[in-house]
Amino acid sequence: MVKVKQSISGVLLIVVTVLVLLPILLVIVNSFRTNHSLAVSPIGLPTSLDLSNFGYVITHMNFFRGVGISTLITASSVALILLIGSAASWAIARTTRRWASGVYRLFIAGLTIPVFVMATPLYLEALQLGLLNNLVAVILVYTAFNMPFAVFFYTSFLRSVPQELEEAAAIDGCGPLRTYWHIILPMLRPSSAAMAVFIAISIWNDVTVPLLLLDSQDVQPLTLSIYSFVGTEGGIQQSQLFPAVLLATLPLFILFLVFQRYIVAGISAGVGK
Amino acid sequence: MRLTTRAAILFMLPAFVLYATFIVFPTLRGIGLSFTDAQGVVGGNFVGLDNYVRLFGDPAVLSALLNTLVFAVIVTVGQNVLALALAYWLQSLPRLQAIARAGILLPSMMAFIAVGFVWNFIYSPIDGPLDSVMNAVGLRGLEHIWLGDPTTALTAVAVTNIWMYMGYSATIYLAGYFAIPENIMEAAKIDGATGWARFRTVDWPLLAPALTINVTLTTIGSLRVFDPILVMTGGGPGNATQSLSYLVYTNTTQFQFGYATAIAVVLLVLTVIVAITQTTIFRRREIEW
Repeated sequence: MVKVKQSISGVLLIVVTVLVLLPILLVIVNSFRTNHSLAVSPIGLPTSLDLSNFGYVITHMNFFRGVGISTLITASSVALILLIGSAASWAIARTTRRWASGVYRLFIAGLTIPVFVMATPLYLEALQLGLLNNLVAVILVYTAFNMPFAVFFYTSFLRSVPQELEEAAAIDGCGPLRTYWHIILPMLRPSSAAMAVFIAISIWNDVTVPLLLLDSQDVQPLTLSIYSFVGTEGGIQQSQLFPAVLLATLPLFILFLVFQRYIVAGISAGVGK
Repeated sequence: MRLTTRAAILFMLPAFVLYATFIVFPTLRGIGLSFTDAQGVVGGNFVGLDNYVRLFGDPAVLSALLNTLVFAVIVTVGQNVLALALAYWLQSLPRLQAIARAGILLPSMMAFIAVGFVWNFIYSPIDGPLDSVMNAVGLRGLEHIWLGDPTTALTAVAVTNIWMYMGYSATIYLAGYFAIPENIMEAAKIDGATGWARFRTVDWPLLAPALTINVTLTTIGSLRVFDPILVMTGGGPGNATQSLSYLVYTNTTQFQFGYATAIAVVLLVLTVIVAITQTTIFRRREIEW
């Protein structure tokens, strides 16, 4: 009896999961359909595999340039966040003075500040300093935006691990820099992996910072490419919408399938083991 | 290892400089700007509380404030109830856990900017997919211009938002389940607690840390809602889906810097008050074991 109930429950869960995925399946199926068949019925299977829309989207959305820019921004920001964030967190976790916990609290306060509080001043600054459309500025902004999370994440981990290894290194004559590089960074690797994937997704999907700081066509990341392709060109046809959405989300689908374990670990962090 | 003060400061310096330059300074400058009449790079004279007086009499701001709060409530309640139910379901089926979690988590990996367009299509009036499905199951007559009607637009956007992130919240609740020591679940089983009785007396109190994190995350996230409005409605119809963030954005792009930052400060104050209240209330019901 219990077995039967479990099986029914399992089947239902799969049904619900498929229902949740339905909009995504709709995108995949519809991206192979023609305008004509979409007009006849919004839901349905393609009669023949029509790939022409993909070609159109790849050239008109400037897909590969978008991917390149998004990758550059995301990878550089994540690398900087991991390096700078872990260095600061180690210093915070190993300094017992009052001022260090003050610094910690200042970083943590950043977790609640909505990005829009800084939006206007950041735009104004970029305007005055001539940093609009500057990718380095965008990378530094992302690094700063994610610093509260990185400090929170690393510090809570570092506070929970024993310091013997570091002390042994110090006795062997390792300076702080070598200890950091050879002991701390490797020790943080699992935390870094979870955080890297997690932050990468949020930066890759972000539209606010590019919208504020990147208005030139030449430096548009993928999110802005699709926004201007679908949103502002207005007259694009439905048969082109779906390939555009599919292409824009494909890189993250792959990332998700490969790094799912780290993504789940990143999301679950803080709930405890 | 004991770091000397000098070494500690050097290690903190890069992070601190970036943080101060791109978070602390802009935030303070934003608060400062909100007391001026800055428009573009011109102006910037101190006008005291003028912007704040003006915004509390501005119907666009007032409806944005109300919409933001309503949106936050719908999303926070809806997403957490569904996520909790999903997590409960998942923990009861260990063999399907991983695959089902991957499925419901997938939407949250996508950019809202892309997904929003798909939902615009799903909601589209005159034989859009949603209306077609409703007709097919006999709900003809309930079809609707979902995003074009002021009474349903905000809820329609909220539903999309919940669809995207409920898997994310469910993952956190599931991690909460994994954190419950096995002997407690065993004891509950021996005592004959199953289903709702166990959920109420065992799961619910022990999931308190996950609940705190989820409720705080969803509230803070939905109070700053921007992407969904940008892609799906542009604040319309009328002011029906205008949010505070979106208003800050439109005012910024129209070079109304003083006014935009004043609205942003209202959003900041709102977020901080809600975050502190929630954390205090929810932390209190977390218990040690």
